[in-house]
Amino acid sequence: MPPGEVLAGIFSVTFAAGVLRVTTPILLPALGGLISDLAGVINIALEGTMLLSAFTGVVVSAYTQSAWLGLAAALAAAAVFSLILAFVHLDLRADLILAGIAMNFLASGGTVFVMYSLTGDKGTSSELASLTMPYVHVPILRSIPVLGPILSGQNLIVYLAFIMVALVWVFLFRTAPGTHLRAVGANPDAAATAGIDVRQTRYTALVLSGLLAGLGGVHMSMGYLQLFQRDMTAGRGFIALAAVFLGARHPVGTMVAALLFGTADALANQLGTLRIPPQYVQVIPYVVTVAALAVNAIAQQRAAVARQRRFQVRPATGE
Amino acid sequence: MNVVDALIEMRGITKVYPNGVVANDRVDFTVRAGEIHGLVGENGAGKTTLMKLLYGLEQPTDGAIRLRGRPVEIRNPHVAIDLGIGMVHQNFMLVQNFTVAENIVLGLEPRRRGLVDRPRALEIARELSLRYGLQVAADARIDAIPVGMRQRVEILKALYRGAEILILDEPTAVLTPQETADLFKAVRTLVGQGKTVIFISHKLREMKAVADRVTVMRDGKVMGTLPVAAATEETLAQMMVGRKVLLRVAKPPAKPGRPLLRVDDLRCVTETGHEALRGVSFDVRAGEILGIAGVEGNGQTELVEILTGLRAATGGAVSLDGQVIVNRPPRAVRQAGMSHVPEDRLRNGVATPASVGENLIVDRYFAPPFTRYGWWMEAGAVKQTAEQLMEEFDIRAPDSAVPVRALSGGNMQKVVLARELSRWPKVLVAAQPTRGIDIGATEFAHAQLVRIRDWGAAVLLVSADLSEVMALSDRLAVMHNGEIVAVFDEPQELTEEEVGLYMLGLKRQDEIGSLGPRASR
Amino acid sequence: MNSIEAAAVPAGRAAERERFQRERRRAALAQFVRTISTVGIALGLGFVITLFVSDRPIQAYVALLTGPVSSAARVGTWIEDATTLTMLGLSIAIVFRAQQFSLLAEGQLYLGALVAGIIALKLPVPGLLHLAVAVLGAAAAGFAFGLIPGALKAYYGANEIVSTLMLNVVAVRTYDLLLTYWLKPPSAGYTWSNPFPADAVFARFIEGSRINTALFVAAALVVLTWLLVYKTPIGYELRMVGANLDFARYGGINVRRTIMLSMALAGIPAGLAGAHLAMGVHQRLLLNISLGLAFEGIVVALMAGNHPLIVPLAALLYSYLRIGGDIMERTAAVGSDIVRVIQATIILFITAELLVGVARRRRARREADAAG
Repeated sequence: MPPGEVLAGIFSVTFAAGVLRVTTPILLPALGGLISDLAGVINIALEGTMLLSAFTGVVVSAYTQSAWLGLAAALAAAAVFSLILAFVHLDLRADLILAGIAMNFLASGGTVFVMYSLTGDKGTSSELASLTMPYVHVPILRSIPVLGPILSGQNLIVYLAFIMVALVWVFLFRTAPGTHLRAVGANPDAAATAGIDVRQTRYTALVLSGLLAGLGGVHMSMGYLQLFQRDMTAGRGFIALAAVFLGARHPVGTMVAALLFGTADALANQLGTLRIPPQYVQVIPYVVTVAALAVNAIAQQRAAVARQRRFQVRPATGE
Repeated sequence: MNVVDALIEMRGITKVYPNGVVANDRVDFTVRAGEIHGLVGENGAGKTTLMKLLYGLEQPTDGAIRLRGRPVEIRNPHVAIDLGIGMVHQNFMLVQNFTVAENIVLGLEPRRRGLVDRPRALEIARELSLRYGLQVAADARIDAIPVGMRQRVEILKALYRGAEILILDEPTAVLTPQETADLFKAVRTLVGQGKTVIFISHKLREMKAVADRVTVMRDGKVMGTLPVAAATEETLAQMMVGRKVLLRVAKPPAKPGRPLLRVDDLRCVTETGHEALRGVSFDVRAGEILGIAGVEGNGQTELVEILTGLRAATGGAVSLDGQVIVNRPPRAVRQAGMSHVPEDRLRNGVATPASVGENLIVDRYFAPPFTRYGWWMEAGAVKQTAEQLMEEFDIRAPDSAVPVRALSGGNMQKVVLARELSRWPKVLVAAQPTRGIDIGATEFAHAQLVRIRDWGAAVLLVSADLSEVMALSDRLAVMHNGEIVAVFDEPQELTEEEVGLYMLGLKRQDEIGSLGPRASR
Repeated sequence: MNSIEAAAVPAGRAAERERFQRERRRAALAQFVRTISTVGIALGLGFVITLFVSDRPIQAYVALLTGPVSSAARVGTWIEDATTLTMLGLSIAIVFRAQQFSLLAEGQLYLGALVAGIIALKLPVPGLLHLAVAVLGAAAAGFAFGLIPGALKAYYGANEIVSTLMLNVVAVRTYDLLLTYWLKPPSAGYTWSNPFPADAVFARFIEGSRINTALFVAAALVVLTWLLVYKTPIGYELRMVGANLDFARYGGINVRRTIMLSMALAGIPAGLAGAHLAMGVHQRLLLNISLGLAFEGIVVALMAGNHPLIVPLAALLYSYLRIGGDIMERTAAVGSDIVRVIQATIILFITAELLVGVARRRRARREADAAG
């Protein structure tokens, strides 16, 4: 494809619309990861939660022929899944990382196992007549030139994802439970002496993060695609965590970071046709995250040294 | 004492911990409404424990508490808060990236239509601040305000929850003199508004300046309660420090040689901006034990960390037998000839999951006979050395492969001593060497310190246990508030009360003694 | 002490020593039994699930439990899988010993495979040396890659979980890039490289399976890792940093260097695992040469208690389940993914249990301290 056409493709409306679609399954688990991280119990099992919900949604919607029941079941499954993780870590004192990895295995194997048992297919659920979440055509927005096709006509969950950014922000910074959650993550002792139940707050954080990841999973199998594939989340649960750190652990930053990852993904595909290897673009967000991590760590160190130096009366005569 | 006046009455309070330590022994303690009451004593006197009982952090083994004439059972801090008791701990419980207002209302946020009412929180913070004269910047983040303000935030937190009685635990430990003056002014304002304040402190001078009455505790017992006006510094010091069971250590007279450790105008400011060391200078000579007495928290910890390479100094110099060792890594300091018995053996003196043998060689594993050709570790050599040291230092463990966590406190300390002394160091820094260990191990440790001294090492003994440091030292220095306030060349002629006066900041030598230590600035 | 007492002391000491060693053996046995019973419980759970989904559950489970030894070729496959997992398990054991949570093994594996492939395909090294240079290259690649997050953590305190997860993706994408645009035959419609020349592969030796001579490299690695961790000063430093970082620092160990080295050294077995996959199992480079195998390596290390000599045993056990699952699927039409569920159960049980044990021990120590 001639370069001109590719560039035109990038700056096109369909591309921008595509970016929003691709970003959603990263943004939702990222918001979940954010909530859990801010409470001090970072959810490593976002990946597994998404898979489980994606699968549950497909199966239930196929058998009940109701997309809404599928959604409800998927979210319920995500909540139970997260409760198990929370119980194993908070009450049985298992290591959070290892327990998260175990839950991911459980979801990965369990979903394919059940799918195989139900349909005899190990790859996809195409046998099942699953449904999708509705697409929404917003009356006023759709008539805006240029932005219209981007802002209107998206799947319901895409809108929910971006609305969630605002809701999560309000929850974290304007409600008491959200404030308590942040306190628990920042200084559990201070929170405890202020009368906050640390364990319960952490339970809540994990369940909320699971619900958000679950919603992302539903989007994958009932919006982005119309079926379930084994391991279809392809690492998005971990990309989500990267987005949290890249976004400086703030809802808006997380959204921007998720958009970055989404754009890179979409861009990589477009550029592939230009014989620019997509990998160059695909790695950008990850390299940026590592760089940001390094810069942040170095900056924190420098600040500590500067604070010390401020008080230096006379240079030490040692090394 | 008119019983009707008493706001708080603690009678016959005894607290015995599961390990047998008697922290409070039939304590009677009363506080009148509207007074500023100082609860003073050394480390381990039992004052913090007593207040923990009042605040519900612990339960008394025996005794009763009455509040406003009625018996109460304070099962946990929530009950205490409901009763109007608030406590400000030494370690602040603040969320660093929240604002002052957010911290004050944490857990009890004002609401409006289901959401947190942030403007109201700011209002509350400002109102409280104004009413009680505790100046704070309500919208500033905690990590951006000075320590003095952080403390005021803690006090406001308690006041927000309706505290009528405030317990302040060593509040001036981290404050500058100006901040201390501000705090006292604020406390008087609070009392003027009907509050009652209890200070836990070891700083007698300050208590004399601000308190109405003072209760002195020692070894878990109350020695007496006096109105401050009637108490002289000498009486107070005597009550606090008094005559204990005399500790006698059999030691031949010291034969000091040349100075091996020279400390010159050492300064240290911690990460929180607190000036821990304000120009400390002293020498330690070969073949002598220089003891540093002082209540914990006056800079001793930072001093030891700097001397042993675990912390950077912000000013000054330290040299070991001519070699500069300040701001150098721990290995370099050790190579220069330093050994260190740390004050918290569990934190860094031993590695509890590792074996006794592994613990014993951490300072020498990289050289022969333990490592050959630079890369092969000889297990046999480790075992042999370990067994030898276990024998020599009477470490009671079945085998050198036993993990250290299985050892008693005393035996763990013997492991530390074995390692540090078997290096035949030029300088030994021993901090709180007998803390938390039984009598037998204590005697053993003291004997070891004298032995290494007689061999020719320069020993610096830092201890909050006054009887220990007085019995062992050939020369005695006293630290208070980050400075050396006294040096005594003949400590055996001193009484504990005299030393106590210096420890508690009531007295200061104008001319710091002869032999090396320069006058501190 | 009089002479009678003096004689009694060594006798008493010897008896104590005896008792301690007996106790140690008993504790090790107890731990072994616990691990085995965890596997047993997990298998039992898997069987219960199989009962629901299959009309021939017993046949399925028999296939799972005996499949891998039912033919020479299958034994070969089992051992080949265990070889890769052993190397990965060793990699994880090294970093976890130092209490560093580096998850970089996946990336180190890919880079190891990549470098081995490049040397095999593009570097004209004479005969016998070709394989050796490729192997060394793989090890070096893993080592060098580990220095990055290692330095970031050691010198700047950057969280190694996040950095290693990110770097994994960078490594995999780099592999994909170079494979797709350089190493695959230019006009090919598929994405794998040409087969490696004969002097740059590990010879296979059981017909019908891909088991190969890298097995001996793995065996050597097990011994070398054990030597490293228990018989070298670096290993001592690793263990002390893992046991108590403050203690290590206080004792003079260069903690920063140790942290960095732990992640780098762990890259050697991981890189070699990549070399095994590239030059032994597949004998070419292809996409998705490892699908999260490194995470399975974590389970292996966990089951082995991070002890290098136990890792191959844990790997054999773990691989047995994986291969058995494949066979069960092929012969009894029960999804092999049930094995994943079994693995997950094993991890959950072990990780919850281990730490319950630690809490118990911590409490016991605290009590001993208070009394002592």
